[in-house]
Amino acid sequence: MVGKSQKFPGVEWVGDTGNFIRIDEAKCTGCSNCLKVCLGRCFEIRNKLAAIKSLDECMECAACWYVCGEGAVDFSWPPGGTGYRSDWG
Amino acid sequence: MQQQYDVVVVGAGFAGPVAAKKCAEAGLKTLMLERSENPGEKVISGLTIPVYGFLFGPSFIRDGNPPIERPVDGIRNYVIYDIKTSDIDIVELRIPRPLSPVMAFGYNAYCKPFIEWEVKKALESGAELRTSTTAVDVIRENGCIKGIVTDRGENIRAGIVINCEGSQGILAVKAGIREKYPPEAISLADTYDYECPKEVIDKVFGHTLRFCWGFDEQMIAPPLGHGNGLMSWPYRNSIHWMQDQCLALDRGQVPNLVRLFDEYHENITSQLPWWRDEIAPYAGMRARMWEGFEIFVGLDDRLRNLPNVADGMILVGDAAGLESTGLCDGVPAAWFSADIAADVAIEALKADDTSAAFLKKYAKRMKAHPIIQWTITCRGRWNLRKAQESHQRKDLKGGVNYQFGPGILTHVGTPLTRCILGAMRKDLLVMSKWVKMFIRYYYNWEHERFGGERLSERPGVKGTQGLALLLFNIVVIVLSPLSLVLAWLLAPLAWAVNPFNKLLQPLIELVLRGWIKMEPLFRSLTTLTINSVKQSNPSIFNISK
Repeated sequence: MVGKSQKFPGVEWVGDTGNFIRIDEAKCTGCSNCLKVCLGRCFEIRNKLAAIKSLDECMECAACWYVCGEGAVDFSWPPGGTGYRSDWG
Repeated sequence: MQQQYDVVVVGAGFAGPVAAKKCAEAGLKTLMLERSENPGEKVISGLTIPVYGFLFGPSFIRDGNPPIERPVDGIRNYVIYDIKTSDIDIVELRIPRPLSPVMAFGYNAYCKPFIEWEVKKALESGAELRTSTTAVDVIRENGCIKGIVTDRGENIRAGIVINCEGSQGILAVKAGIREKYPPEAISLADTYDYECPKEVIDKVFGHTLRFCWGFDEQMIAPPLGHGNGLMSWPYRNSIHWMQDQCLALDRGQVPNLVRLFDEYHENITSQLPWWRDEIAPYAGMRARMWEGFEIFVGLDDRLRNLPNVADGMILVGDAAGLESTGLCDGVPAAWFSADIAADVAIEALKADDTSAAFLKKYAKRMKAHPIIQWTITCRGRWNLRKAQESHQRKDLKGGVNYQFGPGILTHVGTPLTRCILGAMRKDLLVMSKWVKMFIRYYYNWEHERFGGERLSERPGVKGTQGLALLLFNIVVIVLSPLSLVLAWLLAPLAWAVNPFNKLLQPLIELVLRGWIKMEPLFRSLTTLTINSVKQSNPSIFNISK
């Protein structure tokens, strides 16, 4: 399945990525840094802690991983051939 | 199922195919692994590849016909003190006419077609490519890396792994070779691609990049700082536009970049006079993307000295923290390091020793590369932040001039001279190849002739350009013993170029400004030069293989 975004034209997202970003609830302090840097709006606050809302518009930039001072964000690459792609990079 | 290769290259971006091609040419069984379905479709940049990448990088790129979007003659910087009153200074660094645009400061390119072209060259040399394959772990035996585990569950064994996985370095972190960078070393780049008619771009931009820098409250780029700005790149029929933001935290918090990127983009596109009046009426957004990359890793001594080799693995390009801290480009260092990595991998396999101790040859050669070291340690962009905060007009303009204006000659002069002299010592005909490169690249851009190594002759063209180039070649050959002696004699004096340029900086700037002002006088000569190249017989600037 290939997804598109109105906010981010020129980019396609190939599905079946699985949960390649995970949040360790035990480490998360709910600081919201991951929400503030994620242009794809992949995160939300649930019960005062960060949670993955959807990875459908993730550009795999890893900004969430970098700004999490608690090490609560676990970032890896999605499976080969999945995730974002663009001809205009 | 286990498979055995001499070399596995992780990542087919700008660096991977360079390393893979060289290893395959040396007769090594070489495999590139790429996680995207098509190479280049996950690489995001606003991309000018500076000319030093082409001059001193892999010869197949210098002597080839890669797809470029526009030759670039320099940078026009808008130093914005008050955007509402159009209180703006201009700082310009440009190769003047008639030398430019044939003689280029760099070349703009979309990542995907350029990388596809590189990959094609690696495949032609015998390397293999496996796409849609993510390297998830390394195979270790007695502490030594012996291959890659893929997301398909394959174990691919290798004599040596060349890791070109890119900025985030997930594989290297997982393998315990490197570590996750701190957020203050990272830039998040919000990137737009606008379609725009070529004639509008020709008229407004010409061949010159446009960068904007301003005091924080001017909302040019989001406010966390460390030398942020807004950069725009003219391509053939489109404009790339990037606002980038260092992810440095303030007391553990990051500003709301999701909101700020939108606000700042709206602010600048509605208020920047040349964009609002001359571009916006003709431009339509085609794409918006973003990417995180390790902009300031080289400025931290500890991060810069993280290992770039391990037993059985060499790290290359962005994966080795080689993003330029000054001009914000990563491609030349990726090419240089991939070239060096391939050399060392070939030597290591020949010696049957892929230990980290042997591979330290790579680290040593990297440290001896003048341009790599300059690009990863240059503080000009970082220091701009102080000027943006200080609200001193002189500081801001001076900071822009130092890094993106003529002031750059006071710190790039020595590394550039060292590379020029080094290239002249290695290849007596290199100057001829450089001249041919400029002509070929410009010709290919004008005629959109990319990809083919052998361009056929065009009927009806005259032979005068061929004769001129032949004469130039003869001069280069005749003078080559002298140039070799000169290169050896001048090498010990290269250190003096930077201080010399510093001493003469006011004069250099005066000459450059004066030359640019006098450009209308050279209009006929410029047109003649351009037409001469456009009408050349393309066989004259091919490089014999």
